Amino acid sequence: MKRYIAGRLLYTFVILFLVSILVFILARLLPGDPIQAAAMINMDLANQEIIQDLRIRFGLDRPLYVQYVIWLRDFISGDWGVSLGSGEAVFDMFFKRLPVTLELFAGSVFWSCLIGFPLGILSALRRNTWLDAMVTATAITGVSIPVFWEGIVLIYLFSVVFHWLPAAGFVPFAESPLGNFTSLLMPSFVMGTHGAGLFARYIRSSLLEVLGQDYIRTARAKGLSEKAVLIGHAAKPAMIPVVTVVGLAWGYVVAGSFIVEYMFAIPGLGRMGVDAVFLRDFPVIQATLIMTAVNVLLVNLLVDLIYGCLDPRIRIQ
Amino acid sequence: MAIFQRNTKVKPALCRTGALAVSAALLRHKSAGAGMAIIWMLLVMALFAPWLSPHDPNEQDLYHVLQGPSRAHLLGTDDVGRDLLSRVLYGARISLIVGLLSTLTATVIGVFLGLVAGYKGGLIDGFIMRLTDTVMCIPGLILLLVMAAALGPGIHNIIIAISALGWTVFARITRGQVLMVRELPYVEAARAAGASGWRIMFQHLLPNSMAPLIVASSITVGGAIMLESAAAFLGLGVQPPTPSWGEALRVGYSYLEIVPLFSLAPGLMITLAVLAFNFLGDGLRDVLDPRLRGEGDKIK
Repeated sequence: MKRYIAGRLLYTFVILFLVSILVFILARLLPGDPIQAAAMINMDLANQEIIQDLRIRFGLDRPLYVQYVIWLRDFISGDWGVSLGSGEAVFDMFFKRLPVTLELFAGSVFWSCLIGFPLGILSALRRNTWLDAMVTATAITGVSIPVFWEGIVLIYLFSVVFHWLPAAGFVPFAESPLGNFTSLLMPSFVMGTHGAGLFARYIRSSLLEVLGQDYIRTARAKGLSEKAVLIGHAAKPAMIPVVTVVGLAWGYVVAGSFIVEYMFAIPGLGRMGVDAVFLRDFPVIQATLIMTAVNVLLVNLLVDLIYGCLDPRIRIQ
Repeated sequence: MAIFQRNTKVKPALCRTGALAVSAALLRHKSAGAGMAIIWMLLVMALFAPWLSPHDPNEQDLYHVLQGPSRAHLLGTDDVGRDLLSRVLYGARISLIVGLLSTLTATVIGVFLGLVAGYKGGLIDGFIMRLTDTVMCIPGLILLLVMAAALGPGIHNIIIAISALGWTVFARITRGQVLMVRELPYVEAARAAGASGWRIMFQHLLPNSMAPLIVASSITVGGAIMLESAAAFLGLGVQPPTPSWGEALRVGYSYLEIVPLFSLAPGLMITLAVLAFNFLGDGLRDVLDPRLRGEGDKIK
């Protein structure tokens, strides 16, 4: 087990290192350098001499690999630079917006479970019937509907036609718990339906695999009711692969939040990322890319480790 | 030598009669049949847009902006008075071009790298696969937005960006398939017969990796259409006045209360297109490789 964990950790670090290089190169590919971008926003910097001066101060005149090492060192020590748009420290910006996105994620997982679990279990139990076909089609539809269109349809129905929910905007929990709830209802649902499709399909295939095992036949043979077989024997092992789905959903959430937070004007990480792309706000883009990758990698690592604990066969490979 | 090669040559996974059989099976498969019907409809829209459209998609009529459906404009008009139906019909072109071309490029790059990684093994394999993992761990949409911003707007840049993200899936699949068949007797026989590495890769290993690749291609087309419209929705897609569904959705969104069809109609088309390719992919998986059933969502 120790070797397994060490191997996974090493792998994660290697990929992180490669990601940092990729992000560094991507940021350099963006047209104009950070100083010029800052000059566009703040006209005081338009003077060529000042620009040259700043380039030297920020180390942009040095060779690329030196810039990379300095940037990486700063990044690891928590110095993520200053946003060119707002002048705020990127590190603070990031952690100020994180809770909002986390809340959105919690909401979307709730919807995914609420819709995905019953559908998945139902279609596994009624395998190859019209019900199963319907659930599969629904699941594919849930995965395929672009979040922006689903969002627009919901906004049209619930805000424009019925006036039940606010079309956009975010109310912090501390300000008004009810307002917070209603402002996140639609965005979390839109994000949740994508996950629901994934959940349903994974649970279906995982449950089907378990139900085909010998010990399930044994349980049935000794006269247990179908309910007892399901709850007592099939449910637990069938839940193992679900760990992966939650991991996948989490990786998706950050990408999904880009569009959903933009549409619903929610001040989370996604909105921050989109604004940064519009403004060519290098430091924020870099931090967003790196932290997204860190997040995905850490979740993958966690999933692998939980898997290793739950399923001894994996450790040995 | 010739006899040897005839004996060692693998039966292609999809020979002519095979393709016919697959098409027939797909038509029987309900959701895949529906998917194919929608794809045909989209193709007809894209190819015959000039004849189907009641108006010039770029003709502005500033006296009749943001109108609801009428006899002259079946879906109404947009913010500068262009006929929405014509723009929706023409919009199929951008979506299909981006979806198909970027998938094609991604497949070529991915299959090539996957073949090399799987066949050569060792350091090359390690390098290619770590590169794949690196690209895969940043969600596609985010990387696409940054790349679109870096490359600048325009349809070819969107295609380049989506291809640069999409190849990873194909590399992984191809490598996995190659590893599965690499040590089988017929590959060994081909090697013993003196076939070159390239010949073994393209003549013997590739045909046996086709089934999952075709499934993944279909799903990737849907994903590419979705990515393109997402980028356009955020204003980083094809530039106006080119008719594009994502762009129409972006502008129409601001007028949702006045003319809902302005955003709802192009959005429905995007959804249908993505759905069609996903349904087709699902059907292809069932038809081509029953073993893969239910695992489709891992390819994403």
